[in-house]
Parts: sequence; C-alpha cells; structure tokens
Amino acid sequence: MKFDRKKLAPWLGLCFGILISCLLALFFKENPLHVLKILTTSFFNSKFDLGLTLFYTTCLIFSGLAFSIPLKAGLFHIGSEGQILISAFMAAYFGYALQLNFFLSLVLFIIGTLLTGVLSASIISAFKVFRGAHEVVVAIMLNFIFAALSTWLTVNYLQNPESQNPETALLQPPLQFLKDDFLKNYFEQSAVSIFFLVAVLACAVLQFLESRTVFGYQLKAFGRNPLAAERLGMSRIKMIFTAMGIAGFFSACLALNEVLGNSFQYKVGFSPQYGFIGIAVALLARQNSIGIIFSAFLMACLHKGASDLDLETQFLTRDFSKILQALIIFSVAASYFLVETEFFRRKGKT
Amino acid sequence: MENIMDSAFVLILLSGLRLSLPLVFAASGGYFSEKSGVAQIALESFLLIGAFTAATVAYFTPSLVLSFLAAGLVSVLFAQIFCLLVLKMKSHSIVVGTGMNLLAMGMIPIISKTVFNSTGSTPTHALNTLPFYWVYLIAIFIGLISYWLSEKTIWGLQMKFAGEKKSALEAIGVSPLKRQWQSISYGAFVTGLGGAVLSIFMASNYSPLMNAGRGFIALAAVIFSGWNFRKSLAICFLFGLSESVQIQMQSSALISAYVPSIVVQIFPYLLTLVVLFVFREKSQAPVELG
Repeated sequence: MKFDRKKLAPWLGLCFGILISCLLALFFKENPLHVLKILTTSFFNSKFDLGLTLFYTTCLIFSGLAFSIPLKAGLFHIGSEGQILISAFMAAYFGYALQLNFFLSLVLFIIGTLLTGVLSASIISAFKVFRGAHEVVVAIMLNFIFAALSTWLTVNYLQNPESQNPETALLQPPLQFLKDDFLKNYFEQSAVSIFFLVAVLACAVLQFLESRTVFGYQLKAFGRNPLAAERLGMSRIKMIFTAMGIAGFFSACLALNEVLGNSFQYKVGFSPQYGFIGIAVALLARQNSIGIIFSAFLMACLHKGASDLDLETQFLTRDFSKILQALIIFSVAASYFLVETEFFRRKGKT
Repeated sequence: MENIMDSAFVLILLSGLRLSLPLVFAASGGYFSEKSGVAQIALESFLLIGAFTAATVAYFTPSLVLSFLAAGLVSVLFAQIFCLLVLKMKSHSIVVGTGMNLLAMGMIPIISKTVFNSTGSTPTHALNTLPFYWVYLIAIFIGLISYWLSEKTIWGLQMKFAGEKKSALEAIGVSPLKRQWQSISYGAFVTGLGGAVLSIFMASNYSPLMNAGRGFIALAAVIFSGWNFRKSLAICFLFGLSESVQIQMQSSALISAYVPSIVVQIFPYLLTLVVLFVFREKSQAPVELG
C-alpha cells in the first residue's frame, strides 16, 4: 500500500506546535511537563469536564466546516466569527419573542436563526460576485459590524434585567427543553447537548455530498479552476452563493448550539473566537469533513486544557490558549513543506 | 454663528489628521508587503507589538528615540516568524497572518504579567508630556522615505517586480524572495512605529487591544487605493476624518438624539463597505499576490 506522507504532515505539525508551546512555558518560569500534563489530561478529569470538551468540539466542528467548505470552492472565508455573533443574537431574540405553541415556535426559531446565518454570509458573496470586492476585506469589515451590532442590540433592546453583565433575556421556558437532554444528563448537566450528534451527522452528510454527488464535484472543480468550471456550464454566481451559504448555515448552527443547547440566552463575549480556531481545525484535517471531527476534538481538548492553566499555574493565563492555537496554525501550515525535505524523504524510503 | 461652525470644522479636520496617523504608518507598512506579492493581514499584530514595546521601554527609560526604535525593531523581529513561514516554508500568507494576530494577542498579556504583574494595561509612562508635533515630523519623514524607496529607487522597482512577475526578476539575477523579505521587514518596522504612536502620543500607556482593528482598516485602505501608495495615504486620512466625525457625532447632543449610537460606532467599517460597493474594485492587484 502506498503511504502518503502528506496525510501525516498536519499531525506532525500539531505535535511540534504543542512541544514548542510547552517549551515556551519555560520562559514564564513554569515546568513544561506540568503544562503538558494540564493541557493533555484536563479534558477527562470528570464527566462534567468531558461534557464541556464535547461542547467545544461541537462548536469547532461547525466553525471548521464553515471554513473548509468555502475553501473547497476557492474562497477564503474568515467571516464566520461575525456570522456566529449575529445569529446567536437573533436566536436569543426569536426565542424570547416567539410565544406560539411549542412546535411552531421551535420551527420558526430554528429557521429564523439559520436564515440569519445564511443571509449574513450572502452579503460577502454579493460583494464578491457583483462588485468584485475581495472576500477577505468584506469579511473583516462585517466581523466588526456584526460584533458591534449584536452587542448594541443586546444592551439596548434585550438586556436581561436580572443581570449586570451584557446578556439577553432567557428564551421562553418551553424552548429550554434541552435542559433535560439525555447527553446533558449523562455528563452531569455539562454544556454538551444533542447538537454534538447533529455536528457529527453533518460531517458524515457533507462527506457523502462531496465524494458521491455531482454537487460536490462541481464545488471542487470550481475551486480548482473557476474558468474551466464556468466553461463547463457551472454558474459562478451560484457556486459562490452556495458555498458561502453553507458556511453561514454552519455558523448559525454554532449559534444554535450555544443558545438552544447551552446558555439559553446570548451572552456578549461567549465566543473565544470560535471562527478563527475553526481555521486551525479545518487545516489540521486538510479540509476532510470526517477528519474535522477528530481535529475539532483535539483542539477542544487543548482549549479546555489551556483555560485550566489559569487556575493551575502562577504566570500563565488563559491567553496561553491563543499562543497555543497560533503555534499549531504555524506548524500545521509549515508541515507540508517540512515533510518534503531531505530528512523525511530518506526515512520514508526505508 | 459662522465662527463657531468654522472652529468646529477646523477641529474635526485637525483631529482627523491626528487620528489618521497610526493608519498612515500601518498602511505604508502594508503597502510594501502587499506590493511585493505577500498578502499581509498581520498588520494588527505588528501594531500591537509596537505599541506594547514602546510603552514598556518608555516606562523604564523616558527616551523618545529609544522607545520608537525598540518598537520598530521588536516588530521586525516578530515579523521574521511570518517571513520564515511564508517565504521559506511556502505556507499560505493569510493563514499565517491569522496565526500572527493570535500570537500577538496571546503573548502580550503573559509578558505583561511577568513584567508588570498585570494582564491589563501597562503603567503610565513619562513621555506623554512631549509636544504632539513631534509625531507629525516622524510621520512625514517616514512617509517621504517610503515614497522615495518605492517609487524612486531601483530597489522599489525590483520589489514591485517580485509582486508582478517573479521570473523577470530571476532573469536579471535578483532573488524575489530576498526582495519580499526586505519589504516585509521594512513594512513591519514602519507598522511597529505606528504602534508606538498609539501608545506614546495618542495614549499614555498600553491598554489591551488598543489598536481597535486599525491594522485591518489600513489594509483595506491599501486595497481600495488599488495598491497605489499616495492614494492609500489619502484614503487613510479619509478614514481618520470619518473617525473624528464619529467622535464629534457622539459628543453632539443634537445628532445623538436622531442617529442611534450604533451607526456612529460602526461608521468607519460601514464607510469601507459603502466605498467598496460604490466604486467597483479595479483589478490592479499585484499578480503574484497570495
């Protein structure tokens, strides 16, 4: 069997990134082994911790997909952070305002949230298709606008009167039905919910779509060579809007996971920049939809570990999580180059 | 009445000039990197590193030259990570740029905690009493040097060729990688100075995320100037002006009664989108940009 070194590359990069971050801890007067132990073991300290890690995993699967699908169509989508925030706010709004019977309001709630995500992503595609603007610039501006907008709307129109923090009022009680979720019960009322299974299912469905259907083929063909794809009759407008729409859809799923599955409200600053960690997740899995499940779980473990560093060490704060992510992004991005060097090549031959 | 209007107008103009200063530095830095064919979204991190270094150095030694130099040089050192990954290891520049921003945001609080025992702002430095015109002198000096470098020298021409047609540069025996490395490093130096302006002249210490997305705005200015140095500086001034209009609007009771504060808050970003929408972007991007 032919062994593809390139498949191994990102994982080598990951190990290298973790190693470097632990060594970096030396500069801050910490024992690297102690740091490594916290980073790698804190996710299964208790059932509750494992549930929290699975919640992060769910979020990262969604944001990883939101980055990887447009990338397959050749679009660099860094706007999911803004889409997550605005759809989380809209979810909180719908959940608070809808007072119909349970089933109808649940359906409207979910559709409204997903639609918010898709529409906010479509702004980027509209700029790209009709005005020829670069998607990265538009996404950056929209990230700022959506973040400011959702905070402002929360504080001015939907502030929870019982709280000092900027957060919206709770959803209507019937919509908080996931409090009694079987996954939540099993993990001792942790943050995880049924959305974890939804996320895994979404990965499987996408894998099928990509490898077995015409749509997936078109997506990849368009990403590889837009001109050739257009000559074969694929509409550029349709491809860009679809790819971005899917990304917005998954950003909204992340928002649902937070609002419907965990906090039942929109808290300003709930996201530790999931949108950007998603980039690392997608790169680690080399945009493979099934691989994203595993890379998301790995990044979730590290995220959980890094946030525990705050309590367990003297000098390292939760900001260490950002350093860790950065180093992992670097080493994964560079790993494709590294495995092609002399050293690894000779090893591969024997 | 006329006099009052006049003075308000002059006030807005002057404060716009003042607010566009960090943007001018960052845009000059971004211009060099982008023109040499390397997409640069790490300007944000250079600004942060520059601002933090300048505030720290200024706290320990109250010397203007030293803190500015330190800001520039540390930012160049920091940019070497970017150069190594993008130029030597052929990684995607936007991916690495995202990582650089994360790294700067993560490292500064931890370093600040070991030096000052606080993850928040640094203590106030003693340089905030300097007259403000110093910074205009520095800005004009840097602007002229950058213009001369990019438009009037052979180096500048070669730097642009690295972004337009690498093979042409190779044919005359100049390494495009070397020109890209030089222009990214110069860009990081200038952007670091922009950070120093933020923490030394526009505030009296470093506070977390004080650059407030200015790196991205500077990048946007470079992009819709059509990668043209003079136009990009003019657009930076427009952004500074819009920010000062925003501040004036926030303090004016008349306007805040009719315009919701959110519009004022997101004014610069909204303006960017409107400009992008109205003026169709001409494809003047460096060919090898990526």
